[in-house]
Amino acid sequence: MAGTADLDSAMATAGEPISEEEALQRLRQSEDQSHQYYAAWWLGRMRSRHPETVPLLQAALRRRQPRAVSSGVEENAVARNAARALGKLGDPQAIPDLLATLEDEDDGLREAAARALGELRAREAVSPICARLASDQAGQPLPNSLRLREPCEALIEALGDIGVASPDVVDAIQPFAIHERPLIRSAAARALFQLTQDPRWGHSLIELLEHPQLQVRRSALMDLGAVGWRPALEPIRDTLAENSLKLIALRGLVERGQAPPDTETVLRAMDDLL
Amino acid sequence: MNKTGADGLSLVRPFIRAVERADSADGLQKAAENLAGALAALAKADHQGEPHCDPETWDVIDCLLQVLGFNNPGAAVAAVDGLIAIGPPAVEPLLGSLDGHNYGARAWAVRALAGIGDPRGLAVLEEALAEDIGPSVRRAAARGLGQLRLESLPQAERSAIWQRCLTGLLAGAADPEWVVRYAVVVSLEQLLPHPLAAEQRVRGLAQLEGLAAPASEDTLVVRLRARLALDNLSG
Repeated sequence: MAGTADLDSAMATAGEPISEEEALQRLRQSEDQSHQYYAAWWLGRMRSRHPETVPLLQAALRRRQPRAVSSGVEENAVARNAARALGKLGDPQAIPDLLATLEDEDDGLREAAARALGELRAREAVSPICARLASDQAGQPLPNSLRLREPCEALIEALGDIGVASPDVVDAIQPFAIHERPLIRSAAARALFQLTQDPRWGHSLIELLEHPQLQVRRSALMDLGAVGWRPALEPIRDTLAENSLKLIALRGLVERGQAPPDTETVLRAMDDLL
Repeated sequence: MNKTGADGLSLVRPFIRAVERADSADGLQKAAENLAGALAALAKADHQGEPHCDPETWDVIDCLLQVLGFNNPGAAVAAVDGLIAIGPPAVEPLLGSLDGHNYGARAWAVRALAGIGDPRGLAVLEEALAEDIGPSVRRAAARGLGQLRLESLPQAERSAIWQRCLTGLLAGAADPEWVVRYAVVVSLEQLLPHPLAAEQRVRGLAQLEGLAAPASEDTLVVRLRARLALDNLSG
């Protein structure tokens, strides 16, 4: 089944092959935003190490503007891709711009910035993210929208990835463990497990593997992979979802988890899913 | 499905009808799972030699091939399992179904061919590993190249086929997706104990060494699996 990994790779293969120099040039110009959009994605995906890459992506991030309702590629779409790329490139230089983006009015941009700050393990982001989660009605839907007031899933996952396990952080996440949306509960269980290593949160994720919606089961698979909790091996194997995602989850168990079960047992389970 | 197969297949009839009548995605998935389950049970019950190809078998295969094209992943997984349970008689129909323009159906067919392990699927697996755009299809093709069932072929033919499998897998070791390289490792482990020319075996082992080394392989799980393969091959 074509999962997101398939799609991403399809874009890499099907998108025109460009050189790093060409990507930088496309990001530098500003007439054609779809070129900038592709260039920002390309530089992150290819883990560009060119000295101009990070400054150009930062500049693209600063060009954001009040969200235009018009569809298609606009400044903020370029900025979102720039934030994602900065997360992948791992340069702490990008942290101040991403922190500023966390305060943007566009919740899609805040989401991309939160994820990038999580990937960068930016401890400076912990207190602004906690403040966002604690803000009035953070977990309530926006009027006439399916989106929540805050991009809670991304904010919570970032806290788990950054890994500051203070009681304040745990308290900020805990209310979301009983949120009405299962994807939010999954993110909360993942982050709380990462911060506390309390197996009860691992069991919460295993329960979500049996959720009737495929999207929720997929999310719980990714979250179990992210925490690498090996007692989840058999529930992961038996989940009704595509093998591609189970393999990613089991990779997480191998690379991040601890015995039991031993590494060879997890590898054998992966072999059977190929 | 030997001489008792015709009776067995008439037991499968209602499951085929259920697939044909399914009017929702969930219903189709359930019906296809039931059909695949029934076929797997049959294959287990009388799996001696080549299944007998009576008209009923063709109906089943035809039904399963159609399910591959329905853009219903749950049902397609079940149909692939069913085709693998049928085994060699499904190979020609599968090969014949590859010309269509439905990429999804083609990807599932490659998976079924990889699982059946019939050497007639070799060229399709080679091409899929080298060129398919979907990592999960390349992954299945890589796995297929390690598990072809060649018992019925003369020795000389077997060697030539194993050689081709090895060549495909060595190229697949440079795939950009970790999961494809992981499948290459598992297949190399399975392939290398077969009688191969000494220099070919050495190339295969050298490739595994490369996939086990941090300098040449950046994904930890691939390195760990390659190390396990090398341990198993030397043990």
